[in-house]
Amino acid sequence: MPQNEYIEESIRRHGRRLDYEERKRKRAAREAHSAATFAKTVHGLRAKLYNKKRHAEKIQMKKTIKQHEEKQATKKDAEAVPEGAVPTYLLDREGQQRAKILSNMIKQKRKEKAGKWTVPLPKVRGITEDEMFKVIKTGKHKTKQWKRMITKPTFVGEGFTRKPPKYERFIRPMALRYKKANVTHPELKATFCLPIISVKKNPQSPLYTSLGVLTKGTVVEVNVSELGLVTTSGKVVWGKYAQITNNPENDGCINAVLLV
Amino acid sequence: MALYNFKKIQPVPSASDFLDIVLSKTQRKTPTVIHKQYKIGRIRQFYMRKVKFTQDSFEDKLKAMLEEFPKIDDIHPFYADLMNVLYDKDHYKLALSQINKARSLIEEVAKEYVRLLKFGDSLYRCKQLKRSALGRMATIMKRQKNSLGYLEEVRQHLARLPSIDPNTRTLLICGYPNVGKSSFMNKITRANVDVQPYAFTTKSLFVGHMDYKYLRWQVIDTPGILDRPLEQMNTIEMQSVTALAHLRTCVLYFMDLSGQCGYSVADQIQLYHNIKPLFANKPTFIVINKIDIARSEDLSEEEQVKLREISEKENVQILQLSCQTDEGVIDVKNTACDKLLAARVEVKMKSQKINDVINRIHLSEPQPRDDIPRLPFIPEAAIGRQPYDKTDPKRRKLERDIEEENGGPGVYNVDHQKLYILQNDEWKYDAIPEIMDGKNVADFIDPDIAEKLEALEREEDKLEAEGFYESDEEIMDSEEEEFKRAADEAREKKKLIVQAHRTNKMMKNRPVMPRTATTKSLEEIERKLGEFGIDASAIRTRSQTRSRKRKFDESVGDAIVREESRARSVTPVNIEDRKIAKMKKRSEKIHKTAQRQANLYARAGESDRKILMKKPKHLYSNKSTVGKRDRR
Ligand SMILES: Nc1nc2c(ncn2[C@@H]2O[C@H](COP(=O)(O)OP(=O)(O)OP(=O)(O)O)[C@@H](O)[C@H]2O)c(=O)[nH]1
Ligand SMILES: [Mg+2]
Repeated sequence: MPQNEYIEESIRRHGRRLDYEERKRKRAAREAHSAATFAKTVHGLRAKLYNKKRHAEKIQMKKTIKQHEEKQATKKDAEAVPEGAVPTYLLDREGQQRAKILSNMIKQKRKEKAGKWTVPLPKVRGITEDEMFKVIKTGKHKTKQWKRMITKPTFVGEGFTRKPPKYERFIRPMALRYKKANVTHPELKATFCLPIISVKKNPQSPLYTSLGVLTKGTVVEVNVSELGLVTTSGKVVWGKYAQITNNPENDGCINAVLLV
Repeated sequence: MALYNFKKIQPVPSASDFLDIVLSKTQRKTPTVIHKQYKIGRIRQFYMRKVKFTQDSFEDKLKAMLEEFPKIDDIHPFYADLMNVLYDKDHYKLALSQINKARSLIEEVAKEYVRLLKFGDSLYRCKQLKRSALGRMATIMKRQKNSLGYLEEVRQHLARLPSIDPNTRTLLICGYPNVGKSSFMNKITRANVDVQPYAFTTKSLFVGHMDYKYLRWQVIDTPGILDRPLEQMNTIEMQSVTALAHLRTCVLYFMDLSGQCGYSVADQIQLYHNIKPLFANKPTFIVINKIDIARSEDLSEEEQVKLREISEKENVQILQLSCQTDEGVIDVKNTACDKLLAARVEVKMKSQKINDVINRIHLSEPQPRDDIPRLPFIPEAAIGRQPYDKTDPKRRKLERDIEEENGGPGVYNVDHQKLYILQNDEWKYDAIPEIMDGKNVADFIDPDIAEKLEALEREEDKLEAEGFYESDEEIMDSEEEEFKRAADEAREKKKLIVQAHRTNKMMKNRPVMPRTATTKSLEEIERKLGEFGIDASAIRTRSQTRSRKRKFDESVGDAIVREESRARSVTPVNIEDRKIAKMKKRSEKIHKTAQRQANLYARAGESDRKILMKKPKHLYSNKSTVGKRDRR
């Protein structure tokens, strides 16, 4: 019975088939052609997937090439060595003019210029009442139409108690209530799942704000005590605003970006 | 036999392959066409099904995986320890638990999104929800990339492990590297383990099988062990230690006294002492290999003393062999096997289970009941007969010998005629004619054939007369016959009733006469009831009494007088008849015209309003409008 490394053992004992190397070489040489035929003939969903993959690969390739070029760019800058008498500890230094750092700096500047008080999503799509509310017919003959069900995700505060259901005008379904949001810190470039404290402002209407509706562009207050942020005066910050960047009703989760 | 066979574990796909498999399965096995004008309930259901289905297929695959991989706590300690040495128990358990966690996370995601889908109010929203549900499941799965990769590696390695049965008769070969363990293994089994003149040729356990005393034996070749503390041993050495520790075997500790292996005799003896605890309760031998180069007698005095010390103190036998010259190989094998067998029997005898077996064994020795000797019967002819001996030139001549003499098989024709039993032996080879004196010989072979035939016919006649051939079924007594006839009749009647009922049922939509409106004559009733075997005389008497009561002649007398005094108006019979016939004809005609329409539309009656086919396809399917063609 074959056991342990029997394949390698067999190859070691008896060798490979005689045209093994030849076949391998030919297959490698043929690979570009077969890939091309495949790319030409594939269609439908598979084509979509394949093209996406190729696209990503090509981008990656270009990026690496660029990186190599940037690396080389550093070496060229030998002239930047300061002329004249130089202290010994600076003698073997070249000019620190790396293209990469430069471009980073430019990006940083642009960002700062963009202003501190603007929110990431300045404009939102208007949402009609039709879309927001579903009319619920009540009464024995289902003729009364004053009840509304909110069809978007909502935030309901911890201490909330319902009115007697009979008189409740706005129903916020349990399934659509959210307590946590995935908040991205734009500078740390990291995302945390933080509890929501309150809804600060829903840009659609003050009514939605008071109902705690979470739509794209809504500003919510999140509990950032986990992040350990400190104010300039040295206090620990625990509540911070964040703006929702996705459509929670379509995604089933809340993504937000911290406003700093 | 192979109790532990890990070859059946299904391959574990990589994370991206896993996703492709599951998602394409969803695409293939769930409906794909949906439109926004469909009812929202249908749209929701469509997408819920997709989410649920995907989760199910993830669940199936992950669960199968978790079940297939051996659980370290459940398998034999030898395999558990071996897996610990090879794959690191913690890592293995962690990988499996991560897969399990992924499974439950996926289930949670599916549950959450199905709940959200219930509130989906448009096709777009439902679709987005489905998309993000599948996306989240995919993310969870992608995070398992490393676990899946590790498990696949483990699977491949597990499948290549030798299938060692931990409970069977086993010889285990151990010792320093390069002392000739594998050479011995190759000598006694067909395992074909690699043999090279350098250390650590064998890097893992190898198993081979052999036969001894009609039993199947397992031989395990282990990698060499170096003399160092357990913590410093590498994976290769640890495998040997695992096998030594957990398998109840016969241990053959191999030694090389020639120094060809590169380790001194003192070192080898030292190692023996160090790993001695692993040999406890196991039959152990010290086997000295390569005796073609150096024997134990060639050793220095001091080393010989050490060796002898071991054999005397620990009661360990020292065996010698050479794999080069095959000297002593078979001896070693036999001695070791015998000792192991004896040890196993001894262990079994000590165990509790033996009582169950021993109780069932019984050797019976009958007591002599009298003094008559009951000796075996040997026929007279057999007593004096010489036993057949092939080498004896004066032996009996067999048919086979005759065949050999006459040209061997294929040439020699077997003589059957010599076995004929006739009155005179000289006749044996006489030719038998077919026709003799103008008569067929075959006719005279049986001289009294006519007589025999006659006897047969007579017997037949006799049997027939006795009624031997009459079947049992026909023999029935009168009572039974009567019973059968009645049953037949009843069956016939039942059939008729069913038929009548069915014909009645055909009148589906026709107005039905109430039963009270139909009149039945007394005779008819009587006849019918009579058919059922019910006495109808009571009914007759009842009707008779009634009719009698109303008779006029029993009433007051003068009424009759008045009746007679009145002039009678008599209608001529023939006119009446004609009128009736006319009316009948007219009514028939009316009836027919009334039925005409109904017949035309194949109606059952006036009340039949059935519409069999509302819009017959052939009348409505084409695009022609009025006036395009003159036919429809
Ligand atoms: N002269 C002689 N050489 C032998 C004998 N048995 C084995 N050898 C040689 O010893 C060397 C090592 O033999 P192996 O069977 O590979 O030894 P091993 O104990 O399995 O070694 P590892 O697997 O590395 O632990 C080989 O070169 C054999 O030819 C013997 O009886 N006499
Ligand atoms: Mg070996």
